[in-house]
Amino acid sequence: MTTLIVIDQPPYGSWAGREALDMTFSLAAFDQPAAMLFLGAGVNWLCKGQAADAVGQKSVEKNLSAATLFGVEQILVDARACTQYGLEIDDLLSGTTPSESISETLSQFSRVVFAG
Amino acid sequence: MPQPLSYTLVITGAPWATQAPQTALSFAQALLKAGHRIDRVFLYGDGVHLASALSAPPSDEQHWPRLWSEFLSGNNITAVACIASALRRGIVDETEQARYELTASNLRAPFEIAGLGEWVEGNLKSDRVLYFHGAH
Repeated sequence: MTTLIVIDQPPYGSWAGREALDMTFSLAAFDQPAAMLFLGAGVNWLCKGQAADAVGQKSVEKNLSAATLFGVEQILVDARACTQYGLEIDDLLSGTTPSESISETLSQFSRVVFAG
Repeated sequence: MPQPLSYTLVITGAPWATQAPQTALSFAQALLKAGHRIDRVFLYGDGVHLASALSAPPSDEQHWPRLWSEFLSGNNITAVACIASALRRGIVDETEQARYELTASNLRAPFEIAGLGEWVEGNLKSDRVLYFHGAH
């Protein structure tokens, strides 16, 4: 049964998303199927070319690009939020799948975890 | 009476910053009253502050860490604070105090410190996993 981890907060300014990413990786480490959905301001996690060192932080882009290597099945992104933030699919990390209907996406998973 | 279920409760909101520990405690009490079982309580993110032995709220306020530890001990429920979350936020047991050469430890019994594997196990074993967040 795949667990969907949902991140709806921007990558910098809150630690909750990073801790949700740790949850995803720990599922993968224990060979449990996991997928991720980036919603709302959370879509900014997937931007290519983040310069996190400018705010004295580690880029989340590196961690995230390793997600599929670690066995995360799917990285889904809220298509409408991408439009709001002016992001095209080419601006996002490769392997990202846009979701046109969040309610439909959520209904495909029986275990859903929102970042705290 | 409906079929009893087993639960893992995950608390990510801190006491006195959010209502998460209070809501979770009421829910946990209601679960047991209804005949369900709690496999494990898992503190994650800011939720680890609930496991501090050093919280000292004014005497006319509810003491959430104490109320939770009484509930856990009284009902023999395992409670775990995530080690990565706890170490970042200064919640340590004697083992971690020694490992990091810190000046004190402050983990409140019966809370234990362990890894996210405990949460993964909750996902596998419990019929339901519920989250108590601060912000959502």
